[in-house]
Amino acid sequence: MLAYIVRRTAYGFVVVLGVLLLLFALFFLYAEPVEMARRAVGEKAPPEVLEQWVVNHGYAKPTWWNAEAPGDTMIADHFRSMLTFDFGRSDSDDSPILGRIRAGMGPSLSLTLPLFAFGLVFGVGLSLFVAYFRETYIDRMGVVLCVLGMSLSVLLYIIGGQFLIGKLLRWFPISGFDPSPGVMMRFLALPVLVGLAEGLGGSIRFYRTVFIEETGRDYVRTARAKGCGDGRIMARHVLHNAMIPILTRVVVSIPFLFQGSLLLESFFGIPGLGSMMVDAINGNDFATLRAMVFIGALLFIGAQILTDIAYTLVDPRVRLS
Amino acid sequence: MRLRRAGGRPGRATFVCAMLVALAACSNNPYSESDDELKVRYKTLPGPTKTLDPAVSYSSLEHQVTANVYETLLEYHYLKRPYTLMPGLSVAVPERQELERGRVAYRFDLREGMLFQNDPSFALGGEGRTTRTIVAADIAFELMRIADPAVTSPVIATFSKIEGLREFSERLQALRDETPEFAELRIDRQYEKAGGIPGVRLHGDYGLEIVLTEPYPQILYWFAMPFTTPVPWEAVVYYDGEDGRPFFKDHPVGCGPFVVSEFDKQSKIVMSRNENWYGVRHPEWKAPGTVYPSEGEAIDDELGRLDPAYVGRSLPLLDRVELRLEKENIPAFNKFLQGYYDASGIVRESFDKVVHEGALSPEMAARGMKLEKQVDPDLRYIGFNMNDPVIGTPAGDRGRKLRQAMSLAIDVVEYNRVFSNGRGVPAQSPIPPGIYGYAAEYRNPYRQPDLARAQALLEEAGYPGGIDSDTGKPLRLSFDLGDTSTAGRLRFRFFVDQWAKLGIDVEVAATTYNKFRQKVAEGAYQIFMWGWIADYPDPENFLFLLWGTMAQSTSGGPNTANFDHPEFNRLFEEMKGLDNGPERLAIIRRMRDLLEVERPWIELSHGESYALYHAWMKNVKPAGLSLPAAKYVDIDPVARARMRAEWNRPILWPAYAMALLATMIAVPGVLTFLRERQ
Amino acid sequence: MNEALLEAHIVSNLIVAALLVGAALAFTAARRSVLWSRAGRELLRRRPIALVTILVFVMVALLDSVAWVGGGGTEDAIALEQSRPRSLIDRMFAPDFKEKSYSAPLADAEFYGGSKLEHPGTHLLGTDILGRDVLHLTLKGARVALLIGGLTSLIVIPLALLMGISAGYFGGRIDDIVFFVVSTLASIPSLLLLIALIMALGRGPVQVCIAMGVTGWVGFCRIVRGETFKLRELDYVQAARALGVSEIGIILRHILPNLMHLVVITFVLLFSGLVLSEAILSYLGIGIDGSWGQMIDQARDELARDPIIWWNLFAASTALFVLILSVNFVGDAVRDILDPKTLGGE
Repeated sequence: MLAYIVRRTAYGFVVVLGVLLLLFALFFLYAEPVEMARRAVGEKAPPEVLEQWVVNHGYAKPTWWNAEAPGDTMIADHFRSMLTFDFGRSDSDDSPILGRIRAGMGPSLSLTLPLFAFGLVFGVGLSLFVAYFRETYIDRMGVVLCVLGMSLSVLLYIIGGQFLIGKLLRWFPISGFDPSPGVMMRFLALPVLVGLAEGLGGSIRFYRTVFIEETGRDYVRTARAKGCGDGRIMARHVLHNAMIPILTRVVVSIPFLFQGSLLLESFFGIPGLGSMMVDAINGNDFATLRAMVFIGALLFIGAQILTDIAYTLVDPRVRLS
Repeated sequence: MRLRRAGGRPGRATFVCAMLVALAACSNNPYSESDDELKVRYKTLPGPTKTLDPAVSYSSLEHQVTANVYETLLEYHYLKRPYTLMPGLSVAVPERQELERGRVAYRFDLREGMLFQNDPSFALGGEGRTTRTIVAADIAFELMRIADPAVTSPVIATFSKIEGLREFSERLQALRDETPEFAELRIDRQYEKAGGIPGVRLHGDYGLEIVLTEPYPQILYWFAMPFTTPVPWEAVVYYDGEDGRPFFKDHPVGCGPFVVSEFDKQSKIVMSRNENWYGVRHPEWKAPGTVYPSEGEAIDDELGRLDPAYVGRSLPLLDRVELRLEKENIPAFNKFLQGYYDASGIVRESFDKVVHEGALSPEMAARGMKLEKQVDPDLRYIGFNMNDPVIGTPAGDRGRKLRQAMSLAIDVVEYNRVFSNGRGVPAQSPIPPGIYGYAAEYRNPYRQPDLARAQALLEEAGYPGGIDSDTGKPLRLSFDLGDTSTAGRLRFRFFVDQWAKLGIDVEVAATTYNKFRQKVAEGAYQIFMWGWIADYPDPENFLFLLWGTMAQSTSGGPNTANFDHPEFNRLFEEMKGLDNGPERLAIIRRMRDLLEVERPWIELSHGESYALYHAWMKNVKPAGLSLPAAKYVDIDPVARARMRAEWNRPILWPAYAMALLATMIAVPGVLTFLRERQ
Repeated sequence: MNEALLEAHIVSNLIVAALLVGAALAFTAARRSVLWSRAGRELLRRRPIALVTILVFVMVALLDSVAWVGGGGTEDAIALEQSRPRSLIDRMFAPDFKEKSYSAPLADAEFYGGSKLEHPGTHLLGTDILGRDVLHLTLKGARVALLIGGLTSLIVIPLALLMGISAGYFGGRIDDIVFFVVSTLASIPSLLLLIALIMALGRGPVQVCIAMGVTGWVGFCRIVRGETFKLRELDYVQAARALGVSEIGIILRHILPNLMHLVVITFVLLFSGLVLSEAILSYLGIGIDGSWGQMIDQARDELARDPIIWWNLFAASTALFVLILSVNFVGDAVRDILDPKTLGGE
């Protein structure tokens, strides 16, 4: 068992190195440091200031190999800074990236956690309901509503939600954020509602597929033959056996919670990591983007290792190789 | 089973009731209610600030903070147009002194006994100190920071006209590279050891003389911008990002009417009154920047901006200014309509609701809102790459005629009507209204849309109907844009469609802004669209964009059209050193006439901004330049609280309608449910 | 660039011809196989409307892909329009069927300003900000949507089959390498990977499809790999191997055909996912010209207008919704019909 954990972790580390190499290729081989400098210093800055910025930010170093000082290359810097979690400064405003991530995590999680929890409960509950009434009005209406929900633009939900609840019903502020817990609820209610409405269609479709796959299995037929009620089968057997795909999806989506939501945060003025990423994309802030993608990948790999280990603990047969 | 159900129902009902009561008590007020009584101005901030370091910050967004926190030697008069300089920290606006070898000098005298804002960093200069007197050396320090390569100030090129600034910068860099111990020294010691800037001379504690190597009258405008504010070395040293201290760029320490009292880059910036400001401590000075002005334009009197209740009153009038980050326009504008922001630009999308035939719509006027229009000192233009063999100088007369024809085809009035609700003044020459050299009566003959004439010119150029008569092939051009958004591409299609009417096939090459800038740097472009916003109110700031020395292809400068016309260059060099007067005006007119024929640009329009504000806000005057405006503005919090309450009563019918719709969808479902269960 | 653009319509015509031939071949091949022809009939019985809807979309897209230069224009057509290739769909609308700016569906006057339209009462779905007919744009969007779904699937499916089968069948080093690549790609948040790829590859329909292909093949590859693992161990495959049938032969004759149902299911599910993600890319400014996603993104401005401009968004969203809905219905049915596990579900 221990050997398996060690091996699995070592493999995870190799994947991390692969991710880093890919990130380097994506972000730095095509990067145009002078343009990044222009975005950072200002449109009207003269060329010599831009060059100075490029040197100050380490983009003037050789990419792969430096004959004079072998460790002094962009790729070496890249691996060094990522593996030591010293993400350095943002390319757009020079603020320390780690500090900003720490500051943005709270607001992001305060949005994504309730969104995730409610989404899971409603998604699983409703899809169980829909799967139970397969090939009836409920199922077909469910498909229509879900697909409708999926094909409507996110923006429509946001603008519609703000209009309805913030502007007509006037229950909650249209946008804004306050870190103190009591007041925060008022600001979060609307984005959580909007996010829930937006994501529900897709997750019901997903869970419905899982449940329908389960209902086709032998044990369901056996249970039915034994005279079990359909509702009982759904609630006890099917839900129970569908736990593995559901849990896999849950564990795998947990790392993404910390990245926040790009659109919701921008529109509702939540100072989280999603809104920070939109800024980074718009402002060509490669250093921040790279750090965010790297942390996301790291969490994802970690979550996968944990699920794999959990599987082997639960079911020793899974330990294949 | 039955029993449990029955027990569940009332519980659920109470829960629903409780929810409804909670919702009824909810309000959409995003602020703390205790602030309702105070004179707090709520403003939107469209994006996070990158830096509030006065030597670096160069965006109008950041100037909303820096202009009010960092006081300068000179400042613009709040109401007078054209923009007029008046003394700020300085006792008077200096006169130019001619020196030998064509050099010039300006001598500023600071008011004595002014203090910086309170800040813990001043303890570096002596135990227990929280502030310090402002001296001329603080401005010299800031100028040295502009020269410092590590600061990467975007205005170093402009200030290089100060004698010895460039050499100081190089000396500093060399010393840092050579001796690592030097780089470890405290920043003010480094500057001292590098010998300072010879062109910045101190006369006692309060006298400052600036020596320029060539005449450059516009330098005075730069002394009305936060770049040249006094900066205490203590703050730069203390706020270094270590041990939990913020960086100096996120923690301004200044001497203006306001101080930044709360800074959360991702959500809000709060500015409160600076009790150390010279206007507060020395109201008896009656310094021009510390009292509400008594004169302005005629229109100011009309609009109540010269209200006797305010004239001569000590500033600032507000308790606090809160800038809240609002990245998206739509929520911000909705909150303005609800009374949670005091003023707003007009989102294009809401224009028709707000503005009706050029004036405020009746609905908005009934709410007591006010609308004010203002032409911005800026210019939007389509440029041609003059190095291009087909469309530029190498094509000679053919190219010129082609450019003239293309210029005649563009109907910018229609463009403004479609894309900006008719906002914007059609540009006739590069110089916008309100800037010296602008002539209101001038009509550029190539900027009055005339398809017939354009077709004739195209034929003269040898492209009848868009077909090259030499080769028989259709003329194809490419229009590069650095905007991949859907809205951006629609705008470009508009121009392409207009040229298509002449038969010219222009292909749009949409790339990211980066790729676009790269193409420009490589010279691989034919037609582009660009804009320029004035730094200061002088024609030199616009005409230099076509000066050959500034050409992108040779110097990487902002002359992206690569226009290099010997006659134009000569005239420009003559014009830039002159003071405003008939001689200068004559040269500007000749330059304008030259551009009229040469057409390196198709001038499109000067922006027109509409400021919209609520009745409780007083003394607003829109300005295209960054002014320390916050100190002049006043708020009536009582009226505001009343209006907010009135405008935010809930409208409930949509909730009922939605419930009805949901029921309609659910009923067959319930029926199925019941049927299946049996 | 200009030259290439002109020739693009000829390539497009050739592709249409190739597609038609391919479809005919596939159809005859399917008819010969008992399994597939029964599945086809079953599908037609269960979901006739959805199938017809998809067929209509495909027809529109094909009609919009057949284009040629010149001819067939009205008298006062713009000269430039004549020199550009125009598709069959374009030819159904006159080249000057345009207004100056917004007009509501079937309106007589312009939406703002109220000046008279040039073609009053004829724009069935109104006109957009540049005065283009929204119905025309919506129809043209079908081609982009199918292009995104089709081209990307053409990248995803062969790539995933190649990688998945070789990893699953040969195992060992090859499996290690494939699995490493898959885990690496899967670890990066897919939207960010997509953005980064498009930034690196450049914009344009083909580039966007390639980027979506690179991010999309991973999941399918995993499924194929797992399934191949199982198939390899089956008795008749082992027997074929013992008889000395070449590896390629086994893969082509025994493995690949047994994966076909997975390919069909994946294609159907992938398709709607791809069309929807293009809409998100359009929001970020890196979508494909003329897509429904762009029309929806444009509506970001229009929704907040007062009075609201709804027809542009409505047309694009409806087209998108109907296509995705039909694909989903068909997808569910295909899964039921082809997947042996759910056969006894009812």
